[in-house]
Amino acid sequence: MTEIFSSLYGQPDPQGPAGASALGFGPGKPQVPQNLGSMSFHHQMVDEGAQLRKPAAMNEPFYLLRVLPMENDLTGHTNLITHYNLEHAYNKFCGKKVKEKLSNFLPELPGMIDSPGIQDNSSLHSLIEKPPVCNNSFSPLTGAMLTGFRLHTGPLPEQYRLMHIQPPKKKNKHKHKHHRPQDPLPPETPSDSDHKKKKKKKDDDPDRKKKKKDKKKKKNRHSPDHPGMTGSQPSSSSLR
Amino acid sequence: AEKFDNLEEHLEKFIENIRQLGIIVSDFQPSSQTGLNQKLKFMITGLQDIEKCRQQLHDINVPLEVFEYIDQGRNPQLYTKECLERALAKNEQVKGKIDTLTKFKSLLISELGKVFPEEMGKYKAIHGDDPPS
Repeated sequence: MTEIFSSLYGQPDPQGPAGASALGFGPGKPQVPQNLGSMSFHHQMVDEGAQLRKPAAMNEPFYLLRVLPMENDLTGHTNLITHYNLEHAYNKFCGKKVKEKLSNFLPELPGMIDSPGIQDNSSLHSLIEKPPVCNNSFSPLTGAMLTGFRLHTGPLPEQYRLMHIQPPKKKNKHKHKHHRPQDPLPPETPSDSDHKKKKKKKDDDPDRKKKKKDKKKKKNRHSPDHPGMTGSQPSSSSLR
Repeated sequence: AEKFDNLEEHLEKFIENIRQLGIIVSDFQPSSQTGLNQKLKFMITGLQDIEKCRQQLHDINVPLEVFEYIDQGRNPQLYTKECLERALAKNEQVKGKIDTLTKFKSLLISELGKVFPEEMGKYKAIHGDDPPS
């Protein structure tokens, strides 16, 4: 053993104290006479580092031979997705293409939800960082409180208007059969109705124009007064 | 799943009420005042119903990283997808390490057995024969 240590830490000094300090053990530590050999040196090491070393390791022929840790049945060697029965989830999320936008996940949610929350100060992160200070319970509004909600008539200014996006109609696949409340909706804003009307007009105009043109053509072909756009087609009133 | 359906139902009703409230407010008429008051009262009751659902969901934990996706306007299912992909990639990486280290151990033991047959005999007597890799 001393031969191994001497090769690692340098030649042993026959003088004693100076040699021990050269090995790094310090002058204050008990000096080991060289004639005792490896056993006493081995014993010294046990005294110094007993807390660090397990006693079982010292009884075996190999120095620092530790007891192997208990084998864990579940390691990275097994496929953890199949172990935790997540194959269906994996195929669902990773097999198909998941759409990027939030509106694809929540199609019935009105408003512009695809824009970042930081822009209009509606982020969830800010809500977590600075939760609003409020009471513990929700108390109903009294008559006096409702007087504060008497609004002026007329449309909102442009800067305060939101883009009302009508949610699509619920599909039959939905579990709950509750339908939208039957309360009569208030008359929509003039801007919205005009927008819709304008949209409808725009959509119908090219179709209407085409239909009108077709009708005109047909009429012109078959009318007696027309000089005859197409001379090839004989008119019904050619005989006069 | 029932508790989620209950919460989802309350949230949908609440959101619909808010949407109708916005329509009333965007072009307010005097005749709409009673309807507005009704909507405001329903908003309070809606919040109370949502708070009642909270008790059933006290054990549900949502990772904070999902909120970052929502704040960016992205689908939160992408977070689930990326979690699964990362888990699988890490699983494969660790499996590769385990396989490599197992092969290394068996090679090392075989080579040490050739160089230090007596010592390796003692080692095997202590730890037993290693299982085949």
